[in-house]
Amino acid sequence: MIALDCNDLFATWRDQARTLLGHGIDPAEVSWAQGPIDDLLAVPTALPDGPGPFRAKVPAALLSLLEQAARYRGEQRWNLLYEVLWRVAHGDRTAMLAGDRLGSELHRRVKQVSREAHHLHAFVRFVPLPGALAERLQLDLVAYHDPAHDILHSASAHFADRLGRQRWLIATPQDGIRFDGQAFDYRRDCPEDWRQWARNADDPGAELWRTYYRHTFNPARLNPDALRMHMPGRFWRHLPEGMLIPQLEGLARQGKQRDGQAVEVAVQRGKQITRPTP
Amino acid sequence: MQLIAKLGILADAAKYDASCASSGAPKRSSRGSEGLGATDGMGICHSYTPDGRCVSLLKVLLTNFCLYDCQYCVNRRSSNVPRARFTPEEVVRLTLDFYRRNCISGLFLSSGIIRSADYTMEQLIRVARLLREEHNFRGYIHLKTIPDADPLLIEEAGRLADRLSVNIELPTDASLKRLAPEKQAHTIRQAMGVIHRGQQAVAGEPRAPRFTPAGQSTQVIVGADATDDSTLLRNAESLYQGYGLKRVYYSAFSPIPDSPGSVPLAAPPLLREHRLYQADFLLRGYGYKAGELLGEVGNLALDIDPKLAWALANREVFPLDVNRADAALLARIPGIGLRSVQRLVALRRERRVRYDDLIQLRCVLDKARPFIITSDYRPAEGELRSGLLRARLREPQAPMQMGLWG
Repeated sequence: MIALDCNDLFATWRDQARTLLGHGIDPAEVSWAQGPIDDLLAVPTALPDGPGPFRAKVPAALLSLLEQAARYRGEQRWNLLYEVLWRVAHGDRTAMLAGDRLGSELHRRVKQVSREAHHLHAFVRFVPLPGALAERLQLDLVAYHDPAHDILHSASAHFADRLGRQRWLIATPQDGIRFDGQAFDYRRDCPEDWRQWARNADDPGAELWRTYYRHTFNPARLNPDALRMHMPGRFWRHLPEGMLIPQLEGLARQGKQRDGQAVEVAVQRGKQITRPTP
Repeated sequence: MQLIAKLGILADAAKYDASCASSGAPKRSSRGSEGLGATDGMGICHSYTPDGRCVSLLKVLLTNFCLYDCQYCVNRRSSNVPRARFTPEEVVRLTLDFYRRNCISGLFLSSGIIRSADYTMEQLIRVARLLREEHNFRGYIHLKTIPDADPLLIEEAGRLADRLSVNIELPTDASLKRLAPEKQAHTIRQAMGVIHRGQQAVAGEPRAPRFTPAGQSTQVIVGADATDDSTLLRNAESLYQGYGLKRVYYSAFSPIPDSPGSVPLAAPPLLREHRLYQADFLLRGYGYKAGELLGEVGNLALDIDPKLAWALANREVFPLDVNRADAALLARIPGIGLRSVQRLVALRRERRVRYDDLIQLRCVLDKARPFIITSDYRPAEGELRSGLLRARLREPQAPMQMGLWG
């Protein structure tokens, strides 16, 4: 058994996989380390030297699928990719199709990864820093986000398109990325001060957004399951509106669903308008 | 009045418009430029409220003062709601602030009718112009179009906005007369025509200035009057064909506070709305005709989806061999969606498709099973009468509609 560690880097894995493939090494004979736990059964054998005699040809589309799926954090993260690569390189292209048992898992991972990138684009919430602090840190906006897969690096360029020359930072429990209006600074290990700025930013302005959220909700159409399906609970605590969700659901259940209006509006004095003279 | 108080009132007043889509806009980016905003055709749902609906745009009214007296509308002049009015600058400030925070992808602005249709339309245009020209805002803008406004104003709006919409609200002339006496079916259609011609004028001319690149949409209210689903769907079909509409939105009528006797007080018919969306999707995405889904009169079944209903009514088409049938026909098998059809076609180029492959593709086999043949499967229930099948496949009716009052 060959025991390998690619440090969760796709480029490293790709080089290792190319060598293994060149020497015709079967997926059953190789194991990649998963985080801090090594495979206890894998007796370390060295990776063979040189590219090996077998020159595999695989479609370019496969490489891009593998790179996508590599961002998935989960069991058999790197082994699965090698198994797919092995089968396709040996002429079995169904391994990369969703109809195949292995291909189906590959595509499920690709889909989860792209969904998580979409979650980043949707649920990151930037906090604007006040003028003096913005000047000192050279940052206009900070955000804290906790993605389930390694998507921060590949999916963050989106925000440079949206935010023009604004300077921003996204910190996560693992990595972090900063944009100074022109260039990105990506760190696999998020600097602790970035994390502190993002987590402790004071945000009095969020009340406007929470007001909008409360009022755009229609209690007559209460449907909490649909909310949970599209916006999983793990994101709520980093959303300014997250804390309102249980509260609004509770209000709607206690009778505020006879009509669509929010309580705050219902208690205000109304105004009828006189018929215009024709 | 403080901005936050106005926001509460004017967001509350705008929530009955179902559309919140931010998709279909052309590629725009602010990378390295002054200003804010990007679009790439994909919509983003930045949040969901506990009604399960997506929050993609800041959806507000410029004002909920209104001269009209549409019975179904919370903002009708005889309604006893608190009133407020934003200045255009206030809407701009809110849009940019929420956009920077990544809470929204753009603005959906509508308004009560004040002074005149033209004046109201001018105010909406002013907001869009400030955003686009003063602030270089490249995010998504959807403007409500006031049907009676001057066509020149509608054209101006079309050059600034990604999407325009004119709401039909009530699908028949009789209902409009009864419930929305100031509105007229023919001016609504005229406004749609102005937008459609604006789109056609720049179609195929890549250098021409953009005109509502994300298309036009409309909304009909479901359940405020007695109109049936057949009328709603035929109406939608004629709008898709006649005015090239991107979307027809169906909004289940929610009871409004201080409700006039002319509209129902019942809970919104959410399941009926859901079935209409499913049927509408079959018109737009799958090539069904309204006449295939419903007869001249009547409503869609609530206990089964419209695709299954069609399959049960057309058993002679099935079972279909997934290894041979045309892709367009495969898409008519209940439980197999457009994406699965693409994947099946890719797979059958490599080898014969087996039953297990459909499991791997996550097709809904409970529904599909009686309608398919694979290389290793043929339905034993093929002889089952449609009535029995339907009884087995009907969705349990959630007690939700009753629970709404609990």
